[in-house]
Amino acid sequence: MSEETLDAGLALLDRQVVDIDGKLVGKVDDLELAIRRGGEIEVEAILMGPQALGPRLGGRVGGWIRRLGATLADAEEPIRVPMKHVKELGVRITLSIKVTDIERLLDVEQWLRDHVIRKIPGGRDASE
Amino acid sequence: MKKILTLALGILTAIGGFMDIGDLVTDALIGARFGLNLVWVTVVAVIGITAYSEMAGRVAAVTERTVFDLVRERLGATAGLLNLSASYFVTALTLVAELCGVALAIQLATDVHYLLWVPLVAFLAFLVFWKMPFQPMERIYGVLGLSLFVFVIAIWQLDPDWGRMMHDVTHPQIPPGEGISTFAFYAIVMLGAQMTPYEVFFFSSGVVEHGWSAEKLGEIRVNNLIGYPIGGILAIGIQVAAYLVLQPRGIEVAHLSETVLPVVVAFGKLGLALAIIGIFAATFGSVLETLLSSGYTVAHHFGWRWGKFEAPVNASRFSVLVIVTLLGATAVALTAIDPIKLTIYAVYLGAATLPFTYIPILIVANDERYMGEHVNGRLANTVGTIYVFVVSAAAILALPLLIITKAGA
Repeated sequence: MSEETLDAGLALLDRQVVDIDGKLVGKVDDLELAIRRGGEIEVEAILMGPQALGPRLGGRVGGWIRRLGATLADAEEPIRVPMKHVKELGVRITLSIKVTDIERLLDVEQWLRDHVIRKIPGGRDASE
Repeated sequence: MKKILTLALGILTAIGGFMDIGDLVTDALIGARFGLNLVWVTVVAVIGITAYSEMAGRVAAVTERTVFDLVRERLGATAGLLNLSASYFVTALTLVAELCGVALAIQLATDVHYLLWVPLVAFLAFLVFWKMPFQPMERIYGVLGLSLFVFVIAIWQLDPDWGRMMHDVTHPQIPPGEGISTFAFYAIVMLGAQMTPYEVFFFSSGVVEHGWSAEKLGEIRVNNLIGYPIGGILAIGIQVAAYLVLQPRGIEVAHLSETVLPVVVAFGKLGLALAIIGIFAATFGSVLETLLSSGYTVAHHFGWRWGKFEAPVNASRFSVLVIVTLLGATAVALTAIDPIKLTIYAVYLGAATLPFTYIPILIVANDERYMGEHVNGRLANTVGTIYVFVVSAAAILALPLLIITKAGA
């Protein structure tokens, strides 16, 4: 691995991702790498969710986390955000798209909202 | 004028954040058992938490990032997850202790067993989380918590030998009948009670959520530099009061009724009433803080939407987690687990987790790419580094001491 690849890993992995409006998206749980002709390694996409974090952690706990994520989301694959949607790499990683445009990302959030949070009476208003 | 008021309220919040069931139990217990020989630990702890809270607040203001957000980035996925599990567990355990603390305060006032009050207290906490604007609540508890100063005033009423007390504080020794291991065990208990990790998570989360930027750094410093030391004075006050009243009578602290005994001796029923109000306010405020903090640690680790200002429908994972944590803590409290022992365990384990949050804070506060001109100065770094050694030593010694002393028996 070249030094640049390592730097990219440090600057990307486990960082907070925010969308174009500054809304919280999640953490970079893993990266999808591609080997270009000539042996160069390039980051293709940011991977998010337990299906990405579990395998990276490894071991039995990693396996549990992956399986839990796969069962909850009913999908083996993690959430994938191609690097072309990354606008800025800084203290946080800013995307050029909206959080709602990322497929499956808010599934759990929305399920809990509709099936749990909205069922409890009297919650503070959604003021946005 | 408005500015001074905001500043005063911020300081009150810091004092309120400092005082919780951990302090109320350990200060009295240690004062009764070790006299003034561990007062120095409070001084050490107050300097430490002031320094780290300022650093975490500064990092949060400059980078808009909270402690657990940074912990994951700096410790990596595996160590980050381990630290998250430990911190969540300790914070939830502290929540159980605080819930019992509020219920015990009501028991002191009503003579009705605390277990009957626990569900009611939990429901009140839920209502505040679910329906109320948080900031006014936090301030109310800060103001009411000031009635704990009755412990400090009681010292004058008890008319002690000041010269001897001064000598005892400045010449600490292991009291006869105690071993070096129990002395060290209770020193760590005291450190954990006063450098409670959730206070730092909570404060840094507040800075991010209020949207405080670098312009607010002055205010952040004032909150910390005045609020925590005043909290420390209160803590020492409770130790001294226990030393004056409980130690000569050979009373051990196994219940909150012993904690308040010194003010009852000094001021009778009025003292008791003030102490109960103060304990209620301090512990109920801490119920809310530990409850939210347990949600913050997880939400910040995974990058979810979170917040006490966010309507629950906009942060459903965070809100569900908070509610589940509250239900779980209530269930544990209702098992009639001894709340005083539980408090000791919670603060002790809290001390053991401190290095894993303090080291990332110190590293990031030193990183110019993050902090720009607000990077740590020499003072913050010197104090910060010394405390990394202090809390690491405590964390390393924690488990062996727990076993050797059979949890301070």
